[in-house]
Amino acid sequence: MTLMSKIVNWARIKSPWIIHFNTGACNACDIEIIASLTPTYDIERFGILLKGTPRHADVLVCSGPVTRQIKDRLIRIYEQMAEPKFVVAVGTCACSGGVFRKCYNVGGGIDSAIPVSVYIPGCPASPKAIIDGVVKLLTSLEEKEAAAPPKTAEAVEIKG
Amino acid sequence: MINVFFNILIFPGLIFLSIFGLGAEYFDRKLCAKLQNRVGPPWFQPLADFIKLLAKENVIPNQADPTVFTLMPVLAFTATLTAFFYIPLWQTKALSSFNGDLIVVLYLLTIPTLTFFLGGWYARSVFSMIGAARSIIQLFAYEIPLFLAILAPAMMAGTLSLSEMTVFYGSHPWLVLLNLVDFVIALVALLGKLEKTPFDIPEAETEIVAGCLTEYSGRLLAFFRIAIDMEMVVGSSLLAAVFLPFGFNFGFAIGFILYLVKVLFVVALLSLARTIVARLRIDQMINFCWKIVAPAAFLMLVVDLVVKGLISR
Repeated sequence: MTLMSKIVNWARIKSPWIIHFNTGACNACDIEIIASLTPTYDIERFGILLKGTPRHADVLVCSGPVTRQIKDRLIRIYEQMAEPKFVVAVGTCACSGGVFRKCYNVGGGIDSAIPVSVYIPGCPASPKAIIDGVVKLLTSLEEKEAAAPPKTAEAVEIKG
Repeated sequence: MINVFFNILIFPGLIFLSIFGLGAEYFDRKLCAKLQNRVGPPWFQPLADFIKLLAKENVIPNQADPTVFTLMPVLAFTATLTAFFYIPLWQTKALSSFNGDLIVVLYLLTIPTLTFFLGGWYARSVFSMIGAARSIIQLFAYEIPLFLAILAPAMMAGTLSLSEMTVFYGSHPWLVLLNLVDFVIALVALLGKLEKTPFDIPEAETEIVAGCLTEYSGRLLAFFRIAIDMEMVVGSSLLAAVFLPFGFNFGFAIGFILYLVKVLFVVALLSLARTIVARLRIDQMINFCWKIVAPAAFLMLVVDLVVKGLISR
């Protein structure tokens, strides 16, 4: 690893900007994600900022099972993000489809549409679990060559 | 010749201004975090953001005009840097000065807002076009009060050169107290110029995603962000030179530290306003600027005229 790619990798780990996208969740996971952004948990300590536009963001935080209606939009938002990009699935529904699995209107978890880096289970996933998951994503980047995004649905399992 | 290049590129030019801009952004964010009773980002945060954005993919949308889209961040960057050379920093003499450089500085500081407008407009995305229209509407609201607020001290000093103004206020220190109202007006206008929270209407992320900068990513966004940071430093330096003109005669070391303290004081006032006031609507902002701030600036202009007449008699 050259010095340049080391610096770039360091900067990527220290400054992950997130965008939050609800793919059909019941709003519980969304509230927990918002709670983890509040001063109580203060994830700006890790350089994490919430951005409104996919063009600025590095990490796509999804909550909820992928409904048939939202699937195309989810893929479109993922494609609008600039490389390198990572996806975090928050909540049991986002990990596997949860209780909505095999419903007529639900495709499954987030990984049925786009590749996912981190799965955070829980119904809803607590803010501590979300922060733990994001930190695990960042530490997993340290070991990689140039923080390349996963080509396939490669999972970093954590407990909620 | 080498001296000139050193001044432009390293100190007090490009390198110094970039580092100071990143430092001022850190100071702003950390102070905001402290005021909200949280820990806040580490000291290297703005630098890490900058490097990360430089290394990201550069997306140029299909519908955007590639020339204007890529040119605007660079233009914002250079305009702010150029304005910095005409402002007296730690001595009464700026790097370059002539009679009328005050006007040049004010117009150079208008260019970043125009680049937001053009960059957002030529991105041809719905959100960025709304943001662009809002930023140009906001420009008309804060620009007049800012010009009037800075014109009043200049008229009192009887010159349009920033360097000569600092000399004048060095010999008449008590007249600075007369400009305190103008200082507050200029702070309000600077908040609008920097699109900070009470006036961050053009990039209101809860309504229009990210305003003018919606379609920007990677290197271009990095340059826009550092241009905004530098604009914050240059605007604060301008306010410090016009409204806090003391401590220019203590040599380089003390003068330089005093300069840093003055600029960080102005930045602290800006982040204080950011923390305690919520975002206004665009019509509220226009009403506030035209019905309260601009008349106050006119009133101070009249007061300054009367005082100047009394003094010269």
